[in-house]
Amino acid sequence: MDESHARKFQKDLNAGLVALVLLGVLHRSSEDLYGYEIAKRLQKANEGEPLFKEGTVYPVLRALSANGLLTSRIVPSYSGPPRRYYRITEEGRAVLGDWSGIWRQTRDFVDRFVEVGGEQ
Amino acid sequence: MNRASEPANASQTSHSARAPRSIAAYLEQLHEALAGADPALIQDALYDAEEYLRAECAAHPEKSEADVLELIASTYGAPEEVAAAYRDTEAKVNAALRPVTPLSSESANPLKRFFAVYSDSRAYLSLFYMLLTLVTGIIYFTFVVTGLSLSAGLAVLVIGIPFFLAFIGIARVLAFGEGRLLEAITGERMPRRPIHPGPRARIWARIGEMLQDFRTWTTLAYLLLMLPVGILYFTVAVVGISFAGALLVGPFLVLAQHLGWDFNNGISVLQPEILGTPLVAPFLVALGVVIFTVLMHAARGIGRAQVLLARSLLVKP
Repeated sequence: MDESHARKFQKDLNAGLVALVLLGVLHRSSEDLYGYEIAKRLQKANEGEPLFKEGTVYPVLRALSANGLLTSRIVPSYSGPPRRYYRITEEGRAVLGDWSGIWRQTRDFVDRFVEVGGEQ
Repeated sequence: MNRASEPANASQTSHSARAPRSIAAYLEQLHEALAGADPALIQDALYDAEEYLRAECAAHPEKSEADVLELIASTYGAPEEVAAAYRDTEAKVNAALRPVTPLSSESANPLKRFFAVYSDSRAYLSLFYMLLTLVTGIIYFTFVVTGLSLSAGLAVLVIGIPFFLAFIGIARVLAFGEGRLLEAITGERMPRRPIHPGPRARIWARIGEMLQDFRTWTTLAYLLLMLPVGILYFTVAVVGISFAGALLVGPFLVLAQHLGWDFNNGISVLQPEILGTPLVAPFLVALGVVIFTVLMHAARGIGRAQVLLARSLLVKP
C-alpha cells in the first residue's frame, strides 16, 4: 500500500479532529492539564501508536485558548520553561457539545458506506 | 493500528538525515523551518517545543539528551512537521472560530466607508490606547532611566549584578504586557508566550547573553520612546476630542442661551457671534462630526502603526 496516501488521509482527518479530542480530554479531566501531559495521555490511550504527532497538539491548544474555548495559567517548572495549564471554559463545553453532535452524525454517515470492523 | 504507525515511522526515517541531537539543535531547525512566518508565531512555537522537549528529557532521566531527541520525530514530530502544523493551525482554527464580521468598511459607498469606523471596536480601543500611552509612557520611561542609572551606579558593588538582571527581567515583562495590550486593542497577533530566558546558565554567561542580545537594547529603546510617543498620542487625542466636542456642543449651548438659559453672563459661548447663527451653526456640528470621525480613523491607523513598531522592537525576528 502507498504510504504517502495513508499519511495524507490521516493528516486530513486530523485537521479538525485534534481540536475536538483536546476539548474532550479537558472536559473529562477534573484538573488543569499542560501540553506535555495532554500529549502523553493521548499517546497512552492509543496504545503508544500516535495517530497524530504530539507537536500538533500545542498550536491547537493555543488557538482554542485564543478563541476563548480554554483558559490557561502559567506555573513555573523545574524541568524547563514555565508550563501553561489549560482548563475548558463554559463556551468550550458548549462548542464541544455541538462538535460531538457533528462528529456522531459524520461517523454514522461514513459507517453506512464503509465496512469497518468486519475483517479486523 | 498498523496503518497509523506507518506515517510516524516513515517520517522518522525521512528526517533522520539531519535529525537534531540536542534541544538547542531542534529549536534551531524549527526556527529555520518557520522562516518567513509571523515572528510572534515563531516565538510561541519555539516556546511550546522547548516546554515539550525539556519535559520529555526530565521524564527519562536515564537517557541522554541525544537519545531522547533521536525518538522525537516519531512522538513530537520533526521540526518541519511541527512548523507545518503551526502554519496550518493558525490559519484553519482561526478561520473556523472567528465570527465573520460584516465589513461595511469595504462598502462601495465612500460615505458609508468613512462612517463605518464607528462600528469598529478597534477604533474606540485605539483612541483609549492613545490616552493611556501618556501614563504607560511615563511609567516605562521612569522605569528604564531609573533602572539604567542604578545599574550603572551599583555596577561596582555586588548587588549591581542581581539588580541589573532583575531590571532586564522586568523590562521584558513590561514588553510582553505591552504586546498583549496591543493585541487586545488592534487584534494583530503579538507573542502569547513570554521569552524563555534559556537554560540555567551561569550568571556571567547570562549577563553576557543579555548584553549581546540586540533585542534587550531595542526593548529598552521602545520603552524610552513611549514617553515622547505617548505625549504625542495623548495630545492628538485630547485636542481632537475637545475640538470636535466644542464644535458639536457649542451650537446647542447657544440655542439654549436663546431659549432663556442664562449662563456665561449672557455672552454667546461661540465667538464671533456669527458662528452661533442658524445659518452657520449646522455647519459647525457637521464639521465636529467630520473631525471626530477623522480622529477615529487616525486612532485606528495609529494602533496599527504602533503594532508595527512594537513588532520590530519587541519581538525577536
